[in-house]
Amino acid sequence: MTTFRIGVDIGGTFTDLAASDPHGKIYVAKTMSTPADPSEGLLEGLAVLAERLGMSRRDLLASTSQIIHGTTVATNALLERKGARVGILTTAGHRDVLEMREGLKDDRYNLRLAPPEPLVPRARIFGIEERMRSDGTAEIPLGRPSIDRALGRLKSQDVQSVAICYLHSYRNDAHERATALAARAAFGRDVYISTSSEVLPQIKEFERFWTTVVNAYVGPVVGSYLARLQARLRQAGFKGKVLILQSHGGVAPVNESIRNAVGSVLSGPAGGVAGGQHAGRILGAGDLITFDMGGTSTDIALLKGGAPQLTSEKRLGVARIAVPSLDIHTLGAGGGSIARVQGGILRVGPESAGAAPGPACYGRGGTSPTVTDANLVLGLLDPDTFLGGRMRLDSAAAHGTLAALGKHLGTDPISAAEGVHRVVNTNMAEGIRIVSVRRGIDPRRFTLVSFGGAAGLHITEVARTLEIGRVVVPDVAPVLSAWGMLGSDVRYELVRSHVGEAGLLPARRLRSLLHRLEAEGRKRLGNHPGQIQVRRSLDMRYGEQIFEVEVPLEGVDPEAADLVEKAVERFHKRHDELFAYSAPGQEVVVVNVRVAVVGVLPGTPVAGESVDAVARSPRRTRKIYLGSWAIVPVHDHRSLIPGKRIDGPAIIESDMTTVLLRKGDRAKVTPQRWLDIGVG
Amino acid sequence: MLRTSYSQILNSSRDFSTAICDRQGRLVAQAHHVPIHVGALPWAVEAVCDFFQAKIRPGDVFLLNDPYSGGNHLPDLTALVPVFLERTLAFWSINRAHQSDIGGATHGAYNPGATEIWQEGLRITPLKLHDAGVVRDDLLHMIATNVRHPHDFLGDLRAMIGSARVGERRLHQLLAEYGLKTLEHAVDSILDAAEAEARACIRTWKDGVFEGESVLDDDGHGIEDIAVRATVTKKGDSLVVDLRRSDPQVKGFVNSSYPNMMSAVHMALAYLIEPGTPKNSGTFRPVKVLAKQGTVVWPFPPAPVTLATNHCAQEIAESVIRALERSCPDRVLAGWGRRFRIAIKGTNPRNGRQFIWHMFHARPGGGASVAGDGWNGVGEGQAAGGIKFGSVEVAETRFPLFFEHHEFRPDSAGQGRFRGGTGAVLRLRVETAEPAVANTAGDGARHGPYGILGGTDGLPHRYRLVAGNRERTLKTKEVGIEVSPGAVFLVESGGGGGYGVPEARDPEAIASDYENGYLTRPAATKRGARRT
Repeated sequence: MTTFRIGVDIGGTFTDLAASDPHGKIYVAKTMSTPADPSEGLLEGLAVLAERLGMSRRDLLASTSQIIHGTTVATNALLERKGARVGILTTAGHRDVLEMREGLKDDRYNLRLAPPEPLVPRARIFGIEERMRSDGTAEIPLGRPSIDRALGRLKSQDVQSVAICYLHSYRNDAHERATALAARAAFGRDVYISTSSEVLPQIKEFERFWTTVVNAYVGPVVGSYLARLQARLRQAGFKGKVLILQSHGGVAPVNESIRNAVGSVLSGPAGGVAGGQHAGRILGAGDLITFDMGGTSTDIALLKGGAPQLTSEKRLGVARIAVPSLDIHTLGAGGGSIARVQGGILRVGPESAGAAPGPACYGRGGTSPTVTDANLVLGLLDPDTFLGGRMRLDSAAAHGTLAALGKHLGTDPISAAEGVHRVVNTNMAEGIRIVSVRRGIDPRRFTLVSFGGAAGLHITEVARTLEIGRVVVPDVAPVLSAWGMLGSDVRYELVRSHVGEAGLLPARRLRSLLHRLEAEGRKRLGNHPGQIQVRRSLDMRYGEQIFEVEVPLEGVDPEAADLVEKAVERFHKRHDELFAYSAPGQEVVVVNVRVAVVGVLPGTPVAGESVDAVARSPRRTRKIYLGSWAIVPVHDHRSLIPGKRIDGPAIIESDMTTVLLRKGDRAKVTPQRWLDIGVG
Repeated sequence: MLRTSYSQILNSSRDFSTAICDRQGRLVAQAHHVPIHVGALPWAVEAVCDFFQAKIRPGDVFLLNDPYSGGNHLPDLTALVPVFLERTLAFWSINRAHQSDIGGATHGAYNPGATEIWQEGLRITPLKLHDAGVVRDDLLHMIATNVRHPHDFLGDLRAMIGSARVGERRLHQLLAEYGLKTLEHAVDSILDAAEAEARACIRTWKDGVFEGESVLDDDGHGIEDIAVRATVTKKGDSLVVDLRRSDPQVKGFVNSSYPNMMSAVHMALAYLIEPGTPKNSGTFRPVKVLAKQGTVVWPFPPAPVTLATNHCAQEIAESVIRALERSCPDRVLAGWGRRFRIAIKGTNPRNGRQFIWHMFHARPGGGASVAGDGWNGVGEGQAAGGIKFGSVEVAETRFPLFFEHHEFRPDSAGQGRFRGGTGAVLRLRVETAEPAVANTAGDGARHGPYGILGGTDGLPHRYRLVAGNRERTLKTKEVGIEVSPGAVFLVESGGGGGYGVPEARDPEAIASDYENGYLTRPAATKRGARRT
């Protein structure tokens, strides 16, 4: 019996599915999402997929071992404020950690800005008599009467979820655990309970408390959705395992995904990065920057040695989320971004015409000049072949909006369009600098991987600006995320704070912390059939600094006698890479110990795409504007055979995207029929 | 700069600005980390050009900090790189950054005891640090010798010059691509368009001659209630800000340097117009400033000025904003809290080492506006919510300090149709084994943040030190406060001012404030009683 693995990405508009058979052949399907209950769209998509394969849904599900699912249920609950009614128990005298925001306000020069509505009103935050010291001893013992009083109040407030957040609980979690037991006894199973020492046992109360409260806020919503999904899949005949995509790009089973619900809040763009990673493996390229340009925004991520970079510094709306998440930079610029003149300066985005009304040239009522309109005016898009001819573009409308923009700028429509195109390219290059140069990484030796319908017209010029020599355009854009999920692994990220000078930290103490975290990770992983990888790292800083640097311990033997010295050496080196200096001899502090336990899933073998019968399309040409008008050849992507070479200037069109090769760009068609472009 | 500077105040607090000026010294663009740096850099360019005249050459790097020659206060050091197209000066690439120390009588330059600028730190008048590409090691060595942490200082200075050089490199690319003429034309259009935007906004305000005042507590040397007074004449799309009626200059360090005074007026304008309007020399063309030397907003040398980027900068901006309350009621802001910092120096009994800790906690409230209530605990008006306080857990781990209580301060906000943000309360126990020493620097213990358009004032700061059964109220500008082991700082920071008359407040908002504890029962009842 064939065993399938299926990746499912549920987005705002479409539900994408990608299935792989044991030979690596990929089958895809796309259906409309059903936001009221996303599992409906998923089952519908499975039916479409089954039909593609010429089998019933029940048979498909019966022969499927894994469904890997990316969901934005948690994200939407937080963004739309549709999470649970949360109550918070916290250390008496410290009720306002969340709302104080460490003293920071958004949008500095906007002083006429109302403060954000708190996620949990202060009336549902209770101070509990207790206090741990930084060394883990109790300054004030846990006061049971104050817990009982607070629980009584929370009951009368009908809370569905309780977050327990005490100071220094990363060091000693006894008070939090005892409080959780009391809450469980008072509420029974109906209420979702999170403690900060379980969600993120890490120093810095602002980050830890916020992350815990977000977990409490989205947990019940994620729990009921996944329980329903799992039940419906079982009913439909599925006997395999459901795995949920996490913000760090790995996956976790359903029960873990409910317990640690905050772990999927930032998983939205993770599928795209997984896709980039997968593409990198196929190409044998390790250092990549993925560039996913859609209608309203562009996601940029950097993969070093094939591994995406993680960060603990993310925010979503008012919430601070400090669990390790893929370091993805999202730019408010895409094909639908609106161009305008502000303060005499041509600006593009972040306002977007979106899908509705869309760019003016869509003819759906859009009246603002967008990037797509500019590209059409420059001849870079063909009004008759856009999206494989499924949508005819209105050149006159595009021209009209660019003429109006040009009037503002005192120039003609063509120059205005060229200006818009250039501004977008500059913004994109800046976005890539943010994930590379600002992180102390030189982007020039990286390969730029281009995804998304709008990327192809901009990507080589962006590469040229940054002196990047290689651009790859894979042809998996329609279901990139779902496809990428097939390449992800089961992953647990564990952390524990240990604040102390490295010089005073015995190797055996560090070793035992690493062992403990590893054991915890292996326990959660359970009986994993495949290979297991363990990645260790430390967050460290110089004595007087207030921020930490993550120092990977790859290649350092945890059993080595000079473990601590080795780690310190790595820290100086890493600090030098990031900040262009190091200070050997200065006091070094270890703040957090991190272990990632990764259960490697069977990678999807890659078959060369089965080449459909290709009708050689007639050679076409088009007049495009690249500083001056020129006639360039237009190639149909589907007609390109592996090994073919195309030199710019040229245009390559497919159903999903149009790629512009400028003078000096040299494209080669790979065995997968992707474009591998050398940028001159 | 963020990646390469050494000091926390730069790489974490981002107390620096980068900017591009054209060859006429007009501000073209600035990274806006620090509101009080807005619009200040043209004076630095002017000072360099006046001093060096024709002796500015490719490869030069200039440095200054003297508030009486183009700087704003001594800790803010400015590095200026002239950008040339062949032999023609085209632009200036500039970095101004707050140094963690600049020499002088006290660590970190804030010296409440200073009565002359020499007691505040090293004065650097415009000097050439790199001469046609050659570093003047003698000068560099002399300056580094005169600050407390030469290693960090040199690292930060390298980062500053490095960042200005990146700006130079990008400008060279632009010059090569477009040529000077096109760029000059572009600069003109950018400045003109920003001016047009600012004027379009100002035009919608009511014409008239308006007066506003904001009062400092004292100068730390016995002079109290120091007033900054603005007479603002608004006509059509222009403003004349006349500060000449402000009080005479004072002995202590709350006097403002001239560039800082201009920045403070620009900051007020930046806060009043649309937040998205670029902040360049064009934006500020609609404003004419009149000031008199010898007043607190523009003293004769050698008056000390270090606190001025906080106070009286904030009071200058406030006097302008308050003057305009009837001219543009939909734009003015009620008062934000003032800075009142404590620095504690002592020995950490856990490791026997010296420590210095600066308090950034217990932030005061933000002012209300037409958009709604003020933000609770977002700090001072001149920083506008841009200063982060660190984690309590980290502070307790690193310092012999114990944070007994750190929450919002009920009933501290000024009332109004929209209330101010609440201040905060901090009870901080000092757990040293030997006595420690504390300094304060700030203002706002006598004067609370102002209410506007009928709103009431927020409560002022009240800081106390409790040792055993002795309690004393701290002044805002004190040095050498003895802190005995186990003593507790009881810090209550001010609440923001209210906007509009309190009677107009939505009763549900009052009920919600009570339910959430921003108001206590007596205060809520009083509010309710006034309603009926």
